[in-house]
Amino acid sequence: MARRLPGGQTMTTDATAPGTAELARAELEKRFNRLVGTSATNLCTHCGWCIDTCHVYLATGDVRLSPVAKADLIRRHYKRSHDWMSRVFPRWTGARRDLTEDELDDWVEAAYQACTLCERCVVNCPLGVETPQLLAAARGTLTALGKSPEILGQLADAAIAREEHLDMFSGYFLDQIGVLEEEVRDKLGDPTARIPVNEPADILYVPLSGAHTIVPQAVIFNLVEASWTLSMFEASNYAMFIGDIPRAKKIAMRVIAEAERLGVRELVVSECGHAYAAFRWEAPKWFGGPLPFRVRSIVEVLDEYVRDGLLPIDPTVNAEPITYHDPCNLGRKGGVFDEPRRVLAAAALDVREMTPTKAQNFCCGGGGGLVAETDWAEQRLTFGAPKANQIAATGATRVITSCDNCRHQITELGERYDIALTDVVSVSELLMDAVLAAKGPDLQEER
Amino acid sequence: MTLADDTSVSLTLDLKGLLCPLPVVKMSKAIKELEVGQIVEATATDPGVMADIPAWCRSTGNTLLALDRRDDHFVFRVRRDA
Repeated sequence: MARRLPGGQTMTTDATAPGTAELARAELEKRFNRLVGTSATNLCTHCGWCIDTCHVYLATGDVRLSPVAKADLIRRHYKRSHDWMSRVFPRWTGARRDLTEDELDDWVEAAYQACTLCERCVVNCPLGVETPQLLAAARGTLTALGKSPEILGQLADAAIAREEHLDMFSGYFLDQIGVLEEEVRDKLGDPTARIPVNEPADILYVPLSGAHTIVPQAVIFNLVEASWTLSMFEASNYAMFIGDIPRAKKIAMRVIAEAERLGVRELVVSECGHAYAAFRWEAPKWFGGPLPFRVRSIVEVLDEYVRDGLLPIDPTVNAEPITYHDPCNLGRKGGVFDEPRRVLAAAALDVREMTPTKAQNFCCGGGGGLVAETDWAEQRLTFGAPKANQIAATGATRVITSCDNCRHQITELGERYDIALTDVVSVSELLMDAVLAAKGPDLQEER
Repeated sequence: MTLADDTSVSLTLDLKGLLCPLPVVKMSKAIKELEVGQIVEATATDPGVMADIPAWCRSTGNTLLALDRRDDHFVFRVRRDA
C-alpha cells in the first residue's frame, strides 16, 4: 500500500502483513537498554518543558512535532512491555501493543524527518529524558523494516564497498591526493610539502571526501612539521544515522584498523559532527572499550597549535564579521565549545556570538542525515528558521562551522531566508587563510 | 578511464560546486529517472567523486562507464543497471 507522507514522499509499507508488527516490536526490543528504558517508562512527566526548546516546534508551532509528542510515539510501545502499570492498565497509560501502518509512517516523520537528534531537548529537560535515544531506536527499527531513507543506506554501503574493493579505488584516490599535494605546495611555496598517505606517523588524519577537508589541514600540518598521515578512508559514517550498528561498526573499523596498523598515537577527525561522535564515543561503546589511541577533532588540534604559538597568523585577512555555529555533535554532545572560538579569535577581526549559544545554540536543521535526503529539503529548510534568525541577528556575513552537514544546510538557509552571507566555511579554512596571509611573499625564503 | 564520445547519454547532470555527499545524493536520485540500460553523464568539481562515485556504483549495482578529470572538473558516466 502506497501512502503519501507529510513531507510529500511516497512510501510503500505493509504493516498489516502477518508478522510485521511483531518484527517491529522485536527490533524495538533489541534496542532497549538502561538509557532508553529510563526515558521510555516513568521518567517523563509530560511537563512540556521540552516543547519550545525544539527548533522543529519553534519553526512550525506543531505540537505533534514537539519532543514529548515524538517520544510518546515510541515510548508507548516500550511501556507496554517494560512498565508494570502499563502492562496492567494499558488504557490508563496509553501503552500500545499493536503497531499499525499509519504508526510506522508517523515514526518515519518523527524519527527522521522532524528530528535531527540534536539533543537540545535533553539539556533542557529537568529530568534528562533522552528523547533522541528513543527516536534513534525507532530509526534502527525502521531500518530493519526497510523503511529508512534509501540514500542513507546507499552512502553506508558505498563506504563499505570502498574498503572491500580498495585496490580498485586506491588508484583514483592517490591520483587525486597527488593533485592536492601540488596545491598545498603552491600555497606554501614549498616544493617539499607533502600529503603522506598510509604511512607510519603520530597522527592519522581522517578527512571527508572533499578537498576542503584535506588541503587546509595539510597546509597547517606541513607548517608545524607534524608527524601525520592521511587516511585512505573518509570519516563519515552514514550507518549511524539509520541506527544500523553492524554497518556502522564496519565503517568505523576500516579506520580503526588502519590506525592500529600504522601505530599512530592519535586519530584526528575532520570537521564533521557525526564522524567525531562515531570515533569519540560511539566506537568505544560498539567495540566494548576505549580505542588504543587518542581521538580528537581537528579543531582541538588547531586550537593547540594556535595556543602553542606554532602558527603565524594575520587576522586582518578575515576582516568580515563572522559567527560560529556549534555543530550539535561537537558542541552540545562533545563539549567542544571553546576550542573553535579561540582559533577564530586569533584568526579573525570581528567575531560575533549567536544568541543563545554553545549548549543552547540551535541545531541548523540539517543534522541527523537530513541533508542527504533531498525529498525532505523543504521541511529541513523550514525547520532551520530558528538558526536562520540567530545568524541574521548577528549581522555576520560569514558563518564558520565544524561540520559539513551544517555547512550545506546553512548555505541553503542563507538563500532561503535572504541572509547576506558571503560564504560558510570551516575553522580550518579560515585559519589557513590567516596563516598564509601572515607568511606572505617571504614564505619561500624562510623555508 | 576516459570518456568515449560516441556513448549515448540520456541525462546530463551539473554537480559543480557540490560537496560530499551531495554528488552521490543527486546521482542516486537522478538515475531513478532513467530506464535500465540508459546512461547519465555528470560533471562535478569535488575531487571526492573520484572515490565516491565508483564506490557507490559498486554497492548499488550500477556501472561506471567512464571517469575523467578535465582541468578543474570531473566528468563521469554511469549506466543504470539496477
